[in-house]
Amino acid sequence: MFKKRKKNTQTASRKLVTRDAPKSITLEQFRMIRENINFLSPDKKVKTLLFTSSSSGEGKSTMAANVAIVFAQAGKRVLLVDADMRKPTTHYTFKSTISPGLSHLLTKQRGLDEVIKRTHFKGLELVTCGKMPINPAELLSSKVMEDLIIEMKSKYDIIIIDAPPILLVADAQILSNKCDGTILVVSSGETEKNNAKKAKGLLENSKANVLGVILNNYKLEKDHYYYNYNSAKE
Amino acid sequence: MEETISLHDLFRVLKRRSVFIISTALLAVILSGIISYLFLTPIYQASTQILINQKQTEQIQVNAQDIQTNIQLINTYTVIIKSPAILTKVIENLDLDTTPAKLEKKIKVETTQDSQVIKISVNDPEHYRSVDIANTIVEVLQEEIQILMNVNNVYILSPAVYLENPTPAKPNPLLNMTIAAVSGLMIGVGMAFLINYLDMTVKTERDIEELLGFPVIGIVSPISEVDVNKIKGLLGRIWRRGRQGV
Repeated sequence: MFKKRKKNTQTASRKLVTRDAPKSITLEQFRMIRENINFLSPDKKVKTLLFTSSSSGEGKSTMAANVAIVFAQAGKRVLLVDADMRKPTTHYTFKSTISPGLSHLLTKQRGLDEVIKRTHFKGLELVTCGKMPINPAELLSSKVMEDLIIEMKSKYDIIIIDAPPILLVADAQILSNKCDGTILVVSSGETEKNNAKKAKGLLENSKANVLGVILNNYKLEKDHYYYNYNSAKE
Repeated sequence: MEETISLHDLFRVLKRRSVFIISTALLAVILSGIISYLFLTPIYQASTQILINQKQTEQIQVNAQDIQTNIQLINTYTVIIKSPAILTKVIENLDLDTTPAKLEKKIKVETTQDSQVIKISVNDPEHYRSVDIANTIVEVLQEEIQILMNVNNVYILSPAVYLENPTPAKPNPLLNMTIAAVSGLMIGVGMAFLINYLDMTVKTERDIEELLGFPVIGIVSPISEVDVNKIKGLLGRIWRRGRQGV
């Protein structure tokens, strides 16, 4: 109960674990997520992956960034798109600049090639938020967004989109409908069961293809470690 | 809640909240220790034993009526000891700054079943005073009984004595702390289950599968501080190198 009150200090350096602690269990966990995503969609190639959660602060952006990195490590060309235009964070995570970005693309001020930013991770490129728009939902539901996704798909192997919380704004619902797969981030000990249920309902309404759930902040028990370690290695 | 709680789940809750439970117990022990040692005035106890003997009569045989009389006599004496008639005298003799009613609260008169021995215990913050009061009560009783009952049948078996290093009868810090530890543990366990019951958040993979029906494609444990520091250093280096390159 008291733990919940504790504010998440979301500093940029806190978020990326997948390159810099290569032996850490967290990296194994993200690799496992990558493999599971591959296994879950053997027939239909999932190229656009949407990350959302029921409410804010459950680790969407962290998960999206790290999953993007492990895909890039597997030799894929990955594009990470910050579609959370209400509270963008990706530019902090990768120590990049916020503009130009997605909002410029959606208002046709810039082309895709002009806003792509490279990262220190080979194969991973970024589209940050851009100038924060006043009408993100409208921009995201426009035809331009659909065309943009098609364009991205032609250039990259996998596009990972970081969306706002699904219960707060309509953005994630709009996007989940346009994406091949949606991943719901749930924070252990933080996400309310009712909210998780509501999120599920909204995703079903928007006919999203929910690949599964990432359970964040899950404190492993000692014996759990080996179980994870082994299954991640397979 | 709708699901049945298994013994395994109970243990898991206890294990997860063990720090909380133990700290509750420790806190209770520390609190009771502080209160017992610093705030409660120590109470010393002194006691005397007296024998009430019925006046010897010529008849040697003891019959049921005699025993009955004895019991009544003992009961009468216990009341007399605590009566203002005695206590007022005690206060006068010792020049105490108290009232019979207040003094009465410090006195405990115990009779052993089927015996003629009465034990008088006196509690007082001062050891010497408890001894004085206990002894004076007996002395006054001996005198007064002759007037009241017209007999002289009170014998002192063991008078109260002054001790070199008296230990207070109350409070008993160790006992208090033990009680506090046990009750602290119980409260802690109760609170742990209550918190767990009130906590409506998603916890485990099983919760998600039961609640949402979506597969869990991965679990991520909190990133440890060691990792974070490593990353900080590395990101800093990469950042600097990047800038030099430009």
